[in-house]
Amino acid sequence: MAAENATAAAGNTQPPSPPSYSAQGADTCLGCHNDPAILSLFRTKHAQPNDPRGPFGHGGLQCEACHGPGGAHVKAKGRQPAGIVEFGKDTRTAVAKQNSMCLGCHQDNAAHAWSASAHAANDVACADCHKMHSAHDPVREAATQPDVCGKCHGSQVMGLVKPSHHPLHEGKMACTSCHSPHGSAAPASLVKATVNETCTSCHAEYRGPFLWEHQPVTEDCGNCHEPHGSTQPALLKSRAPFLCQQCHEAQGHPSVPMTPAGLPGGGSPNPYLLVGACLNCHSQVHGSNHPSGRALMR
Amino acid sequence: MSLTMLRRSSPVTLAVAAALGMSFARADGTNPPPPDTSDWKCEQCPFLQGYAATVEAGADYANGANASYGRYTGIDHNGAYADAGASGQWRTAGGSYGSYDLQSLGLASREGYVEAGQEGLFDVRLGYDGQPNDVYDTTATPFRSPASAQLTLPANWVTGNSTAGMTQLGASLAPVRIETDRRTISLLGEWFAAKDWTVYANLSHQEKTGTGITSGSFLTDAVQLAQPVDYVTNTVETGFRWTSRVASFHLSYSGSWFQDNTDSLTWQNPYLPIVPGSTQGQMALPPGNQLQQVLAGGEARLPLFQATLAYEASYGKLTQDQAFLPVSTLPGSPALPWSTLDGDVHISHYGLALSARPLSRLYLRGKVSYDGRDDHTVPLAIPYVVTDTFAGGSYVTPRYSEDRSRADGSADYRLFRWLRVGAAGEALFTHYSPGQVVTSTTNNRGWGYATVNPVAPLTFTLKAGNARRKAATFNTTALPVAENPLLNPYDYAPRDQNFFALSGSWAVTSSLTWALEGSWADDAYRLSQLGLQSTRDRRASTTVTWAPTETLSLYLDTSYQRIASLQNGSIATAAPVWQALDGEYFWTTAAGGHWQIHERWDLSLDYVRATTRGDTDIWSGGVATPADFPENRTQLDSVAFKTTWQWTKALKVRFRYAHETYHTFDWALENVEPATVLNLLSLGGQPFRHDTNVYSLTAIYQLGEREVAAKE
Repeated sequence: MAAENATAAAGNTQPPSPPSYSAQGADTCLGCHNDPAILSLFRTKHAQPNDPRGPFGHGGLQCEACHGPGGAHVKAKGRQPAGIVEFGKDTRTAVAKQNSMCLGCHQDNAAHAWSASAHAANDVACADCHKMHSAHDPVREAATQPDVCGKCHGSQVMGLVKPSHHPLHEGKMACTSCHSPHGSAAPASLVKATVNETCTSCHAEYRGPFLWEHQPVTEDCGNCHEPHGSTQPALLKSRAPFLCQQCHEAQGHPSVPMTPAGLPGGGSPNPYLLVGACLNCHSQVHGSNHPSGRALMR
Repeated sequence: MSLTMLRRSSPVTLAVAAALGMSFARADGTNPPPPDTSDWKCEQCPFLQGYAATVEAGADYANGANASYGRYTGIDHNGAYADAGASGQWRTAGGSYGSYDLQSLGLASREGYVEAGQEGLFDVRLGYDGQPNDVYDTTATPFRSPASAQLTLPANWVTGNSTAGMTQLGASLAPVRIETDRRTISLLGEWFAAKDWTVYANLSHQEKTGTGITSGSFLTDAVQLAQPVDYVTNTVETGFRWTSRVASFHLSYSGSWFQDNTDSLTWQNPYLPIVPGSTQGQMALPPGNQLQQVLAGGEARLPLFQATLAYEASYGKLTQDQAFLPVSTLPGSPALPWSTLDGDVHISHYGLALSARPLSRLYLRGKVSYDGRDDHTVPLAIPYVVTDTFAGGSYVTPRYSEDRSRADGSADYRLFRWLRVGAAGEALFTHYSPGQVVTSTTNNRGWGYATVNPVAPLTFTLKAGNARRKAATFNTTALPVAENPLLNPYDYAPRDQNFFALSGSWAVTSSLTWALEGSWADDAYRLSQLGLQSTRDRRASTTVTWAPTETLSLYLDTSYQRIASLQNGSIATAAPVWQALDGEYFWTTAAGGHWQIHERWDLSLDYVRATTRGDTDIWSGGVATPADFPENRTQLDSVAFKTTWQWTKALKVRFRYAHETYHTFDWALENVEPATVLNLLSLGGQPFRHDTNVYSLTAIYQLGEREVAAKE
């Protein structure tokens, strides 16, 4: 009924150019668009009447704040999109236009680096990741976020079930624990300025500075670790002793080839190969604050 | 600037705009002037008022559970667990609101938040997150009071030259679980001081306690130890944001204080001392530290070409001043001339990014940034005792500083409606402080890509590129004593990389979609005689989703990855004499779906299989046939079933069943008991294995408004 009223109202008025808004705002829209999937918007922050920042706050453009002026759409009795901004991957609205509707309000801290982000450069629409009408937007919940990110970043998300992984598969972390999908000044859109600052925001025990530092640790945790999951222990790129031997070939035990002869049953079980391998003695690989920790053994 | 914008902008916005003398274009500049909305009553809008909540309560029962299954889940032993959770929200007509969500309350992995506020004025959120990290329950140690700062052996302990001589070992072994618990409480407050201004503070307190693994040695004899973990990290971030349609700015302060409540670990030497008096060892545990930073950043929309300029800067100090431990427990060890490190590292970041659309089909972006880690800590000359066994002279502690300057950019052009092409490049220059093995490295990377979209539902993107890392001349005098000068360490070694990637998606029908992703990357360390020679990484994944009806959806994911690496080694300072080839293979398959059988009953089923295989071959001594390590293998099979029955309008009953089988073989751990290695007294941790079933039955009761519905 409301839609009919609105249509009639629109029909009685010469539509201005550029296109006009609907006669009664959301009441016009909800006259037709009233299924639960749409109405769940009213469980979200977007549809709160007392928030002056939101589209449903006093003076807000309600549905048309995001979907654009709906006057022509109403006039066409909904049979044509008539300039309505549609959100999603395979819609008629260009990604740049879709995103401009979101960015018209969301120029805040979360999105301030959007325009130079990898997602913007790759024509990713906000609605590719966000479900604005859902009371529980899957990309904003840790348990479901990897499924959303994995639609494009499948090779990263596949690592979540590798033997060594961060607890994303268990819902105790999210991709956004480390990455800022709206862009950042850091490489790989990290939430902190460098890899090490990002890692040590949770693993502060490795932050140092230590009395005895291990140079690759101070430079980049990614020299040894693969954060998206590994078949090796402790998210390592390769296992000790072979990983260590990529940088240490000093004469003596570091340069000796470790062979299966050092396994149990191989004759002489070898501490340079088994259990922690190099770490059986050099356990303080992230640095040591012990005066005698020069070889990272104390 | 339009009149509309002028009406909507705050005085600060106007001042900024006026100061810049710019005419800013609105992002949605094609929209008409806003209408008079005074008659927009929103009478059809089903705004939530009052209270709505869901309470879930029941029980879980697990069998076959152990530390391997309990990692991150908290279900680490057999038996019953309380299964409880609740969520809800309330809102008043005046705009005050609250919400909460509490999950897994009966488990160590419990988490939740409580939030309250007044729309448009303030918001406060209190959160809690528990993260159990079970590692081993197959471990055992002869030390009494494991995980304390003082590990002592039983009074009747018999030392030996090797584990074989420790005749009381078997009788002394007692189980010790290796597990930690991370608990975080956070408090976030936001005050919306004005339409354009937000002031916020985010505080968190995190405790990580439990038992970890470390190891200590006495020259050539080592022992694995249960390490006490008692960490506290407090963080504060506070600042403000100013936002308008033409610019934004934020300024914040952040501080992070890490404290380890155990500064050292001392353990009794289980071996026959190599020298008299070497009866115990002591190691330093992670020292307390603090990082404080000031951060500023923002964005401005420029009047030309829809250009946007983003900038970011931060400066901070990382400090550490924990009291030193004695040089050694060995009697007669030298005194230390210093009491603390007085560690002082300055960390700075500056970044500037510009993006623009000079043509409707052309998108450009560029970014320059600088990251500096400048270690101002004074190097100290430290008397050194090797593994609490003998004096080893005096050494000056090296300090490492690096700074990175990075520039990257891309150009993206829509050539036709169905074809988008682009090119991108990145240059990274890293400068290392004096005394390091190289003075600088340069990483250059370039790639091109094309996205083909022949018909609306079908899209493919092909990307190909090359990267090259160069290093300044190696300073072999900076290498550690006896290090082979023919080795280029991994992080400096000159490297060439070629890479390709293909991704695509196809909406075959409105209910059937298919996505594909694959990549190929080869690295070659062309100037390295020793160390890593090459790596190859191949990945492919595909996903099919099918939703034949509104009540049924199905999916199938598969992925594959193979990583191969080749490295050389040399026993003497000479050409390579051994070579190791490592291959890692990884497959996953996941399938499942959700079926709303009718309006009261739904069910979902998910299955995951993940398999890995690691294969290491090593050639040495000039033999043609490699020595093969046994294959390392893991296999995970996981089934999760869930069904919910809407019993009454307010009551649901939910049954869940999870089965998981996980089997690993790891030659580094398999059958390695505490005394297996003569000079390594290990904890005997075995590869992860579990065969676990978890049954869960809960009732879900809904209070207050159940569904959002339009008013009549």
